[in-house]
Amino acid sequence: MARNRIYQEEEFPSPLVQSWHYFRQNKVVMFGFGSFVFLFLLAIFSPVLTPYSSFENNLDHLLVPPAWDVNGDVSFLLGTDNLGRDMLSRLMHGASLTFGLSFVVVIISLLIGVFIGSISALTTGIKSIFLNHFLDVILSIPSLLLAIIIVAILGPGLGNTLWAIVLVLIPQFVHITKNAVKDEFSKDYVLASRLDGANSFRILSYSIFPNIIEKIIRQATLAQSAAILDIAALGFLGLGAPIPLPEWGAMLSNGLDLFYIAPWTVYLPGLAILFSVVATNLVGEGMRHALKQSKEN
Amino acid sequence: MNKGQLILSLIVTVLLVSCDSGNSTSLSAKSIIYCSEGSPASFNPQTITSGTSIDATSNQLYDRLLSFNPGDNDIKPALAKSWHVTRDGKMITFYLRKNVEFHQTEYFTPTRTFNADDVLFSFNRILDQNHEFNSVAGVQYPFFQSVNFSSLVYEVEKINEYTVRFKLNHSDSSFLSNLASDYSVIISAEYGKQLSQINLHHNIDLLPIGTGPFKLKEYRAGSFIRYYPHENYWREKVKIEQLIFDITPSNTSRLTKLLTGACDVIAYPIATEQIQKYSNLTLDAVTSLNVGYLGFNTQKPPFDNKLVRKAIAFAINKKAIIETIYAGKADMAKSILPKSSWAYDDSASEQVYSVETARILLHEAGYPNGFTMNIWAMPVQRAYNPDALTMAKLIQADLQKIGITVKIISGYEWEVFLNMVRLGEHQSVLLGWSADHPDPDNFLTPILSCDSAGKGSNNTQWCNKDFDQLLKDALQTANINQRKKYYAQALAIVAEEVPLLPIAHSKRYQARSTDVKGKLLNAFGGIDFRKVSKN
Amino acid sequence: MLTFTLRRINLLLITIFLLTLVSFSLNFLFPGDPLVNLSGRINPTPEQLLILSEQYQHNANFFIQYWTYLQHIFKGELGVSMASRLPINSEIINLLPATIELSMTALIIAMCIGIPIGFIAAINHKKITDNIILTIAMLGYSVPVFWLALVAILVFSIQLNWLPSAGQISLLYEIKHVTGIQFIDILLSDSEYKWQAFQNASSHIILPACVVALAPGTLFIRLARTAMLDVLETGYIRAAKAKGLSFTQIIYRHAIRNALINVIRHVGLQFANLMTLAMVTEVIFNWPGIGRWLIESIYQRDYTAIQAGLLVLSSFIFIVHILTDFIYAALNPLARDSKHGT
Repeated sequence: MARNRIYQEEEFPSPLVQSWHYFRQNKVVMFGFGSFVFLFLLAIFSPVLTPYSSFENNLDHLLVPPAWDVNGDVSFLLGTDNLGRDMLSRLMHGASLTFGLSFVVVIISLLIGVFIGSISALTTGIKSIFLNHFLDVILSIPSLLLAIIIVAILGPGLGNTLWAIVLVLIPQFVHITKNAVKDEFSKDYVLASRLDGANSFRILSYSIFPNIIEKIIRQATLAQSAAILDIAALGFLGLGAPIPLPEWGAMLSNGLDLFYIAPWTVYLPGLAILFSVVATNLVGEGMRHALKQSKEN
Repeated sequence: MNKGQLILSLIVTVLLVSCDSGNSTSLSAKSIIYCSEGSPASFNPQTITSGTSIDATSNQLYDRLLSFNPGDNDIKPALAKSWHVTRDGKMITFYLRKNVEFHQTEYFTPTRTFNADDVLFSFNRILDQNHEFNSVAGVQYPFFQSVNFSSLVYEVEKINEYTVRFKLNHSDSSFLSNLASDYSVIISAEYGKQLSQINLHHNIDLLPIGTGPFKLKEYRAGSFIRYYPHENYWREKVKIEQLIFDITPSNTSRLTKLLTGACDVIAYPIATEQIQKYSNLTLDAVTSLNVGYLGFNTQKPPFDNKLVRKAIAFAINKKAIIETIYAGKADMAKSILPKSSWAYDDSASEQVYSVETARILLHEAGYPNGFTMNIWAMPVQRAYNPDALTMAKLIQADLQKIGITVKIISGYEWEVFLNMVRLGEHQSVLLGWSADHPDPDNFLTPILSCDSAGKGSNNTQWCNKDFDQLLKDALQTANINQRKKYYAQALAIVAEEVPLLPIAHSKRYQARSTDVKGKLLNAFGGIDFRKVSKN
Repeated sequence: MLTFTLRRINLLLITIFLLTLVSFSLNFLFPGDPLVNLSGRINPTPEQLLILSEQYQHNANFFIQYWTYLQHIFKGELGVSMASRLPINSEIINLLPATIELSMTALIIAMCIGIPIGFIAAINHKKITDNIILTIAMLGYSVPVFWLALVAILVFSIQLNWLPSAGQISLLYEIKHVTGIQFIDILLSDSEYKWQAFQNASSHIILPACVVALAPGTLFIRLARTAMLDVLETGYIRAAKAKGLSFTQIIYRHAIRNALINVIRHVGLQFANLMTLAMVTEVIFNWPGIGRWLIESIYQRDYTAIQAGLLVLSSFIFIVHILTDFIYAALNPLARDSKHGT
């Protein structure tokens, strides 16, 4: 519904809309964004879309090469594995496991991390120093190592892997939120609303969050590419997804023994991981650019 | 070497890396690298049953009193020059070979050659509960326990320096075969004495001394074993200067190492058809007496119920397993015994595949809605099961059809895995057995008798008195036809009780570079590098 | 500098305290008897258990238990591995140097290749070279390292047969284990095949080191590029331009040196990243390092090895982190006054 303009007012787009404006201008980034959306939809709808079951063995069609091979079969577009399971279906199902779950993991740790981060930004004194030290320690340990440590404690399994990665990602969100909130708090417009009598919570939700949301989204894309790589790496090492699940990393390690007979069982899951990480990173890169440009103007 | 030279050499190295193979030929021509599938649990075959440990130790480090003739599997002399069996079969006298030297190594220098004391020491260690080496570091003697050695042998007597006599409680037709198997090695009594003086008894199984063609130079757990030839070996000397076991558990890594020339011989190759396409590689296949099976832990519910075991036997599509896992190249197992065993009974009926029957049986057993169980899939390749993990996945899919949910347990290191299974941690396990000698007793007694239950080889924990009695009866007669009858009856009990489901009998494969000459594998027992040479 | 040093040492102590506390509590979190987890002696007899309980002051309160644990650690007693029954400290001493060797080589490769390329990209800012480099960098840090390792083996070992695919050195060469760093051990050894062994060892390290180096290398490209761009916009560069120095002179005399300092600040963090990548790579290249050992310990549920390995590995990473902080502070006086943390 169009608004009636009574006064000659100038409309300021919100920071998020501004960023989107700059974001849209880069074609490569938009390709990445498109791929990201594609993967996202695939993750949700893969159970309906897969041509075959990704678990059921089909012993009449073992190790069929992809369709473009001489011995390939068009009905198995990307070939089959050593139990005759259709690679395409498994890769599609894998999208909801590797990509979809990494998305969920990032959302959970984002919510927790932003919450802790904003609270800690408002605290000072000894608690804050302790938290800073603690964050320094945690952030200096690489995410995969930390995830391996946590899985070692909780025991192997997909659920434990996901919790481990959630725990690993939280400090990053705490760190970035805390710094961003602190920066904003020192700005004049916050002082203005403080003088208006707004309490800290109100300032946070009405003034600060709209201004730092792109930073958090940018961090989320970084976190997601790390999460995809970590879930896949743990799956590959046999510490993550259990056996029949077509998680991409676990699929790849399943293909290892077939490396010389059926190389597609190794390179296809690898390419899937690469594709999803590149798509995520492109979105992140686009965000960074857009942020920088909107700051410059 | 000064700093400048070092940097220069680094640069040159980086540039000339692809040419370095030419320089090392002198060394590699005299050495054999064997890529094995796992670390040995011990350097003494008396204390183990796993084929991995046997491969690494038995034929390389030790000799036995007797050995098998590779052609016809007849027993022939080794450390015993000759032997004599009394008519009642209860007394066996061995006349020992003279001038057989033990290894001289960094940790032991022998002062005398092999004699009767060594034979007494080697066997009394197993027989005598109070022997100071009997339970050193908690070792057990699973093979000897499984054949009930200590109740069979009444005494080992030294007649003179080079004559020993075994006195048995009753005659046993597989006794000589057992003494020729890979487990019955001779160790040094003098070395034992030395260790006892310095109170390091456990070294007897870690730093081995034997009379075999090779001696231990260096072992780095999980990484490699380095053997040097034994200079004073009593048989023909070996033709190489180094034998290295490169421990490579990953199947793909082993093949990669063979393809890149990092290994000369590899154990249990994958992609066997691919290997045949390379002109510089050969694939050896040896008929081996073995069986791969799915064993049920009969002490744990629901497998304490015979009907459940039967239901599962009906539900598994063995034909699909043979096609998928063995590429159709194995024989589907009717019973535990393979066709090439003389006790094989062709008239026994085959296990049929019928999901319907399975469902009915499961219903009768009181599990109409199925249950959840685990399958422990062995983590290494064996001749009888080249890919237990994939086999477990196939079984998982088969059992899903009758409502049973299967959890696959894998990832343990081989020795840890065997130990956990021995302790009965599993509900069911994919394992197998390779015979150590041609006597059928070596199949039935170790895998299913009461004596071996829970001691390493009988992982079903199954114990049936009738079955055991039949095996004992079979051993006490020398009449082959009579023995065949006993074994047929015993196998009928197994078919009815299903403590395990036999799946396949397969050949043992091995791939090597064409440069490596000489026979390595026999129908029985572990790999043997004694006669190997390199072009 | 004094306050800076004090701060860092303080941080180090707190961290070591936290790490030991975590690894001590792990013994209680893992399944099984904490004493068994701590010492690694599985299936102990009651008498042995009593001795262990004595050794670790198991009946005293938590703080005394923890204190005894610390004493054991500082004496270098980390228990025995449940799987191999070998003392863990000797295993770690055997394995850690191999991992350090691999990650150091990879770090050198990553820096020597990444930083110059980053500078080139910055100098050609917003030109086609810059874009190509950025695209490659993006691909580089998106590749899953285990997949890259497999592809590298397939191409360089199997198809081209240039480089070996596994291990630290061909097992033909008998090199005595002295320092654990293979190259030093070879130079110390008196083998007649020393020179060949050296060549062989260097051909073995190239492939895994390059695989490990790729992702950090591309990050160095980005770091170097950003650092150089920042430097090029500073006042003193403009002043140098105004003085009439040529562009090459500005780059070589002023810009590179200052940009490098900013890159070095990140080396510590990158080293940690490198160690993790090395852990995964070790599994594929059969590298006898601590990463492969730790991952295998997880498979075996060898809790003693897991907690000791984690403690040593994370302390090591953190010490390197702090050391690079010191180097950075020594090179850049401005950093010393910064607040806590980076």
